[in-house]
Amino acid sequence: MNTTVKIVLVSLVVIGSVAYLILSGVKQTGMQYMTVTELAQMEKAPKAGGFRLDGIVAAGSIQYDQKAPRLQFRMTDGKEAVNIVYDGLMPDAFADGRDVVVEGTFRHTDHTLLATKLVTKCPSKYESQGLGEDKS
Amino acid sequence: MSEIGRLALLVGFLCAVFSVGSIAYGLRTGRVGPLRSGRNALWAVCAMTLLAVIILGRALVARDFTYRYVAEHTSLDLSPLFSFASLWAGQEGSLLLWLLILSSYGAAFLWIYRKRLDPFYDAVAMVVASVAIFFTYLLSFVCSPFRMLANPPVDGQGLNPLLQDPGMMIHPPILYTGYVGFIIPFAFGIAVLLMNRTGTRWIEEVRRWTLFSWMFLGFGVLLGARWAYIELGWGGYWGWDPVENASLMPWLVGTAFLHSVMIEQRRGMLKTWNVALIVLTFELSIFGTFLTRSGVLTSVHSFAESNIGPWFLAFIIGSSTLATALILYRKSLLESENRMDAIVSREGSFLFNNVLFVALTFATFLGTTFPVVSEAVTGSKISVSAPFFNRVNVPIALALLLLTGAGPVLSWWRATASVLQRNFILPTVAGLLATLASLPFGLHGVYPIVTVFGAAFVLTTVVMEFARGIQARKDVAASRGAMALVDLMTKNKRRYGGYVIHVGVVMIFIGVLGSSVFQKEAHQPLRTGESMKIGDYTLTLKGTDQKNEPGATVTRALLDVSQNGKSFGVSHPAKAMYFKSQQPMTEVALHQTLGEDLYMILGGVNDDGTVSIQAYINPLVSLIWFGGIVMVIGTIFTLSDRMRLRREEKEAV
Repeated sequence: MNTTVKIVLVSLVVIGSVAYLILSGVKQTGMQYMTVTELAQMEKAPKAGGFRLDGIVAAGSIQYDQKAPRLQFRMTDGKEAVNIVYDGLMPDAFADGRDVVVEGTFRHTDHTLLATKLVTKCPSKYESQGLGEDKS
Repeated sequence: MSEIGRLALLVGFLCAVFSVGSIAYGLRTGRVGPLRSGRNALWAVCAMTLLAVIILGRALVARDFTYRYVAEHTSLDLSPLFSFASLWAGQEGSLLLWLLILSSYGAAFLWIYRKRLDPFYDAVAMVVASVAIFFTYLLSFVCSPFRMLANPPVDGQGLNPLLQDPGMMIHPPILYTGYVGFIIPFAFGIAVLLMNRTGTRWIEEVRRWTLFSWMFLGFGVLLGARWAYIELGWGGYWGWDPVENASLMPWLVGTAFLHSVMIEQRRGMLKTWNVALIVLTFELSIFGTFLTRSGVLTSVHSFAESNIGPWFLAFIIGSSTLATALILYRKSLLESENRMDAIVSREGSFLFNNVLFVALTFATFLGTTFPVVSEAVTGSKISVSAPFFNRVNVPIALALLLLTGAGPVLSWWRATASVLQRNFILPTVAGLLATLASLPFGLHGVYPIVTVFGAAFVLTTVVMEFARGIQARKDVAASRGAMALVDLMTKNKRRYGGYVIHVGVVMIFIGVLGSSVFQKEAHQPLRTGESMKIGDYTLTLKGTDQKNEPGATVTRALLDVSQNGKSFGVSHPAKAMYFKSQQPMTEVALHQTLGEDLYMILGGVNDDGTVSIQAYINPLVSLIWFGGIVMVIGTIFTLSDRMRLRREEKEAV
């Protein structure tokens, strides 16, 4: 067999394996990326699989049991809200009104997302509230 | 003062435009005058940028709150050093830092090549200047760092406490030195195409520039990981966050380029591929900036959403289209001089190294942008996170680890059966022995076993290469022992520097294996006098205290740490409450040894008076940081090799 053919064949095998890894990876670890409203309004219980939600921590909804540690709050997008339960320490930047991202599985019976991952977006600057207009 | 800053950027923009125009005119007409003026105009861009940085830096240190940028990112209680570092805390300042580093590379280029009047180098300068046009334009017309406030506040809004860390101060400049540095290889690549340049001299030059940026980028990525480890307080250092991925991708493609370029130098093959890799590395660097700044994807790092996203996207699309068109237009220039003779050869291993690096980059890119991609393709947004990357990237990375061992001991052209036998038996045996030896430590699973096998394999091949070289030097030069080693390494810095880098890579693999597979975790609420156990450590709570620091109140737990009865003294995991942001910040306590880190977090003081302590044991994590240092040392050693460049220069004359 000539070398070029061999190279093409081996490359195809490598590319094929990588493609398989990616496809099966998406299938097994992919999460449906939804808004809070879409998730809250789901009528049927979802089949197995993860969810990823972006939203805001509803004011006054944080219940934190530091000893467990377990964090519960309601996440909202302004229209609907879902309950989030996260077993872990509260991230530093976590607070009322903060933008957060959660990943986990959804329990349809009580509309609760059991989060395995919670990320608080870090406001690297405190928006220019109150600084007013530019000098013209 | 601010008007001068604004003016400096505007003049910089005009000079960049003039530089490109003048050099283009000079190249077309063959007249020397415009070429010289073009280079001088690029010098002027550098000077103007420096002036703008000095003005903004002065305002930051002086806490001149008439500047919007200063009021947004600093406050009176911030130290002068951190105030200056706020230069790269926000978007406008980061862009200015980009331009400053771009200018520094431009100036370094102009200085190093000041005596080379070959128009080829003018073309390189022209490409650098055209990128400078983009950044000076953005800074002048889209997001100026010199916006002034009509009603300046008494105090500024302060810097995010997470960024108030010495590591964080040097992380962005180092990372940017890596990112931005790929401009020079990119400019060389484009200039080769524009000028129809043949020969291999430029390749050696590009290799050196690439190696330099590549070192900074890799170091910057690791610093970021180290910062996440110490500051973010979740016990880990890498989360496959979009911003982390963004910095990893150009590094991966750059690594592919550094390998495949050797085939081009040696055999005159893969020319198109190499130019494509340079272009891709540069575009991915810009893409990284775009990701961090545009708010397209959610990330821990995402900055306030901004208006510069579309500009960056337009720049990426425009420049990569132009580059692709140029590559196609100059297809004949890039034709291969040779064909590959056999698949089991050095060339073959480099080729697969490249396929795998690009696959790794592609998988990372796809995973990072998956919500956007899946929405475009299927209409529903699917997102992937760490499990996806671990599943896809780990096997590819392991295949690369094995190639790291196999590649260097395969001969060029064609590896015969006897070569294979001579070079592979010992490393394979060593790999198997290492695997057997680590089984009692609880090593199980395919990937961990392959990692240990591969690591031992690579290390053995490196030792064999050194031993063989030393033997050869002894025979030839009659030098002995340590002298032979020094002799050997200085005679072929590039080769042995490369091996040192490989050793660093192996250390990182082992560090990642240890800290991911063997991590232990424990959480417990403690009363004063109570202890908790993790591994063979005992943590005893002695009490808590409170201190006042500038800008924050710090609550500390006093934890007595002992291992098998031997005490290490008191550690202080803490939480700081910053007045300005009303945000707590976890301050991790670390007990670091070469073998493992004990990582302690104060969860907080509970209502019933108990203190929540979370602890991790991260085995071998320090190998990751040391591996990074070894890689830097190896790279510096490789860069110190000027012999090859001189030889090529002679040939050119």
